[in-house]
Order: sequence, then C-alpha cells, then structure tokens
Amino acid sequence: MTTIATTSPDAKRLITPSMLILWLVLATVPLWISRIGLYPYIGIEILIWSIYALAFNLVLGTAGLPSFGHGAYFGIGAYAFGLCQFNVVANLWVCLTAALVVAGLAGALVALFISHRRGIYYAFMTIAFGQIFWTIAIKAHGVTGGEDGLLKIARLPANFGVTSFDLADNVAFYYFVLAAFALAVIGLWRLVHSPYGRVIAAIRQSETRAAHLGYHVWLYKVSIFTLSAALSGFAGGLFAMAQLAAFPDVMSLHQSGYVVMMTLVGGGLVSFWGPVVGVFVFLIARDVIGALTNAWMLYFGLLFMAVVLFRPEGIAGAVAAVFQRHSLQSIRRQGGSAMRLLLGGERWR
Amino acid sequence: MFDLLPHIVNGLTLGLLFALIALGFMLIVGLMEQINLAHGSLFALGAYFAMQLTGPRPPFPQPLAQAWLALPLGWRYAATLVIAPLAVGLVGIVIELCMRRTYGKDPLYGLLLTFGAAMVIEEVIRLTWGTRDYVLQVPQGVSGGFLFQDLIWSTYRFYAAGIAVAIIALVWVIIEKTPFGATVKAGAHDSEIVRALGINLTRLRLAVFVFGTMLAAVAGIIVAPIWGIRPHMGVDAVIPAFLVIVLGGVGSFWGAVVAGLLVGLCVGLSGAYASEWSLLSMYLLLVAVVTVRARGLWGKKSVLEA
Repeated sequence: MTTIATTSPDAKRLITPSMLILWLVLATVPLWISRIGLYPYIGIEILIWSIYALAFNLVLGTAGLPSFGHGAYFGIGAYAFGLCQFNVVANLWVCLTAALVVAGLAGALVALFISHRRGIYYAFMTIAFGQIFWTIAIKAHGVTGGEDGLLKIARLPANFGVTSFDLADNVAFYYFVLAAFALAVIGLWRLVHSPYGRVIAAIRQSETRAAHLGYHVWLYKVSIFTLSAALSGFAGGLFAMAQLAAFPDVMSLHQSGYVVMMTLVGGGLVSFWGPVVGVFVFLIARDVIGALTNAWMLYFGLLFMAVVLFRPEGIAGAVAAVFQRHSLQSIRRQGGSAMRLLLGGERWR
Repeated sequence: MFDLLPHIVNGLTLGLLFALIALGFMLIVGLMEQINLAHGSLFALGAYFAMQLTGPRPPFPQPLAQAWLALPLGWRYAATLVIAPLAVGLVGIVIELCMRRTYGKDPLYGLLLTFGAAMVIEEVIRLTWGTRDYVLQVPQGVSGGFLFQDLIWSTYRFYAAGIAVAIIALVWVIIEKTPFGATVKAGAHDSEIVRALGINLTRLRLAVFVFGTMLAAVAGIIVAPIWGIRPHMGVDAVIPAFLVIVLGGVGSFWGAVVAGLLVGLCVGLSGAYASEWSLLSMYLLLVAVVTVRARGLWGKKSVLEA
C-alpha cells in the first residue's frame, strides 16, 4: 500500500480550518446549484455518499482491510430505516438509530467470521457476505419488497422538542444531511487521530508487529469493521429518506465496487478527504458525462484504470504532490536550477 | 434417494462447469499471484465473439463471409472454439501489458486494475451488442435431449461436462507434464533464479496470462448455451470462479476442481428443495469452510494473504 501521511498539524483539533471552509462552501450550495445546471438533489446524494465513503475508508484506508461488500451495510441501514418507520415508530431519531444499530450488528456478525482472515481470503469473505445479504434482500419479498424495494418511505420531520423541521423539501433535507455530514466528519477526524485510530493504522502497516506490541489485533479488526458498518448503515438510512425508498441494488457487487472506486480515485489511501473528493468526482461525472453519452461507465472505467496505474494515491494524493513540488521549500531546493533558468533568459534581451 | 439422482447429476455437471470457469482464473492466481477480476468479462466476451461468428452475420469481409456461411454449422462451431479464444487472447495481451506496472506492488492494485478493465469490457459489450439476450447456436449432434429412466436429459449438459473434463485434464498435463509448465511453476516459485537461468520471465508471464484469458473465453463458449448470452453473464461467472478458488485454496489445482464440484453439488441439491435460495448455498458453503480452514481446502501460502 502507498505510504500515508497520517500526521497533520490539525490532528489535535476538534474542528479544523479545512472542515470549516468545506462546510461554509457546502452551506451555500443550494443558493447557486440550480444556476450551473445541476439540482439540489445531487447535493444530498453527494453528502450521503460522502458519509458512506468516509465510513468505508475506515476499513480500506485506515485499517487497510480490503472490503468489497460494503454496500450490504449501506443497504441494511436503508431497509432498517424503512422497516422501523413502518413497524416500530415513525420517529426520525429512533429510525436513524435503528439504521445505525442494525447495520452495526450485521457488520459485527460478519467481522466475527472474517477478522482472523487476511488478504484474498478476507476480501472474498466480505464479497460472500455482501452477496448473502443482497440475495436475502432480493428474495425475502415479505420483508424487503424483493426487487421492487421498500417503497413509500417518508422523510420524517426532525423534532428537536422545542421546534420541529419538515424535511420533505430537498433544500431543508440538504441542510439536515449537511449537519449529519459535519457531525460524522468531526467524529471520524477524532477517531482517526485518537490512540485507537493510531493502533488501527499500525495494524495496517503490520499486523504481526502490532500483535507483538501486545495489541489484540483481532478485536481491533472486529471493532473498526463494526464501526464502519454502523456508520455506513446510518448513511443508508439517510439515503432511504432521500430516495423515499430502499432498493436492493445498492447492495449489489457493482455498487459495492463503486464505493471502492470512489474512495481510491479520490485518494482515500493517503488523505482523510480523499473519499469525499472521489464521491464528488464520481457523482458529478455520472451526471455530466451521463447526460452526454450513455457509455459513461466506459470512460469512468478507463479513468479508474489510469488512476490505478499512474496515480495509485488518487486525486488527493496527486494534488498534495503538486503542492509539495511548488511549496516554498522545494523552490529553494531547486533554487540553483531556477537561477540558471533566469540567467538563461539573457538571450531574449 | 432415487428422486435425488437427477439433482446430483445436474449438480455434478454444473460443478464441472464451475471448475472450467475457474480454471483460467486459477492459473493466473496460482502462477502469477494476481487476481484477474476481468475474468468474467473475458468469459462473456468469448461467448459474444462465438455468437457473432456462428451467427448469420460473421465479422468477415463479404467473400470470406459467404464461404464461411457455406460451411456446415458443426465445422463453424469447431473453428469458433479456436478463433474466439484467440481473439479474446488479444484483449488479454492488452490487459497484461497494463497489469505489468502493478507487479511487485500490493496485489490489491492488480485486482482493482482488472476491476476497471471488467467495467470497460462490460460497457463495450453493452455498446456493441445492446442489452438483449442472445442464443449461441450449437450443432445438431449436441443439442436436444434424450430419454433415460423415464427422464429427459439435456444432451448439451453432458457434452459440456465432457469438454470441461477434457480441458481440465489438458491444463493439468500442460502444467505438470511439459517443460513450459515446469518453467512457469518455477517462475512462480522463485522468479530470480528463473531469470538467472536466462528465461524471459516477462514473456512467460504474458503467455500465462493470455492462456488464462483464452481458457476464460472457452469456458464462456461452452457455458453460453446453458446460461444464455447477456452483458451480466460476466459478473455471474466471475463471482463463482473467485469463490471456487478461495474455497479450494490459492495455488491448489485439485483444490479448485474439487471446490467446483462441491459448489455445483451444493447449488444443484439446494435447488431441489429451495430453488429461490440455491445461489445462497454456495456462499454459506464458503463461509462454513473458510471459517474453519484459513486457506480454503488445500491452499498454499502466498503473497495474496499478506
């Protein structure tokens, strides 16, 4: 795996400047998004998938565990949200918690089976469990609605006791999702930079070494997978609200592959923000290229191949490399050649 | 018990097909320690090429096409079994040339690269042939059915199983009994020594990869009349292939064959009781086995589990 710069000057902060800037920019999105030919719904989609991709990156980027069946937990969250709404109580907080908990439980169950495995066996076990959940979602018509999905899920109002917000409108719902995104980002930033997150990163570098240092590697692998699944499920619950339905196709192998692609293209292996960048590029590309040609997957596939071959650290990594090259220090280092270049300009006199 | 016989026979023939599908995948995993997720798409591509070649509009210039169509179907089918895999082999060359850059890195990169390649190939298939289903014509001799013990059996299934056995045996002979196989295995075991002996390992790897893709194409042609030809068939093939390898254990030839048969039996028998859920049984089988045995049935240590 590529080397990862885990130390950031902001590692100790609760809220970093880059978070603040991102939130402020995102908060203005509904004001101008229609003017550039897009629509508010894509903003909702990008934010939800960003939460999902960030959660997924806990497993892939932070822990270095190849999970290719993560769509299952996203889907389970969506179904749990809908089923809780229909059968238990139609309260937003209860239903979102249900999405989080049920997906977390499913993730914990899977993690118990797979966390002793490594490499290809780990990767394929995640695919196998993903396929199991996907098959159940399609075949259990009575519970999930089969291939038609679970329809007529409502966007429940956000009740804060003193006031209550109606989320039926896309713009209102966008701000709700943005708040959830902000909380998730803060939580994940703290998690990744906590002592716990450090151990997870150590396990990525070498399981054997971490075990020799006395860390219970298995327990860490189980817990990070569970956390990731739970947060994916939470994103799934939001997605069910966004779509007003829960469909089995987000659980398919293809869709599980997409989140891997987004995370990698964005640069999840080297940067905290990589998954968000990837989601943004993927969904915008889907809408813009998809409007021009039917074959947008062809171009995205080619782009993905190019990224894997030439820039395995992804967009975020490439941008960081460019910044590094043009930073003051490296200019100083290259001062000699720059000087020569300047002097070489003599012939233009 | 006797009621189960058709399901067992069905499961065994299906198992042989699974083993055949996994064969090329296994070759590349076992000898190059690379996971070729494009395997399924190459499998589909083989089937589409064969359909185009045996169909009413072969992709040849006019005079050649007429001569080709004048041949009896049996001859055309036999020729297709050679031509289509060769054409898919060319695609394999392109993928291997890209894949070279990932050798020596984390195997994850090879897997992701071929995942991208699989997406591209599947999309190209969709653009070229559309999303509709096609049927691959097979010669009269192997189509149809026959009666045995008051049951109708499909001739083609037995023909396909026979071909699968023949190809599995052929691949085994090539790996185990020829100088080529010996060099390839040595290359997988200790690439530096093989290079030091003056063997061009780069070309050897290309040869192995292309051989693997051609096996995928052959499997596609053999399986196509049973599963039908549609863009999604690649995914339908690559997951069982991957599963069979993991179940059998990376680096084990007979592990893959036995795993293929087990998966086939499992799907066949569970199909007898709950056809809706039969596909689930193979995943449950895998989970049950891999929970107990870390490297599948007879897996060897490899870089793929680092």
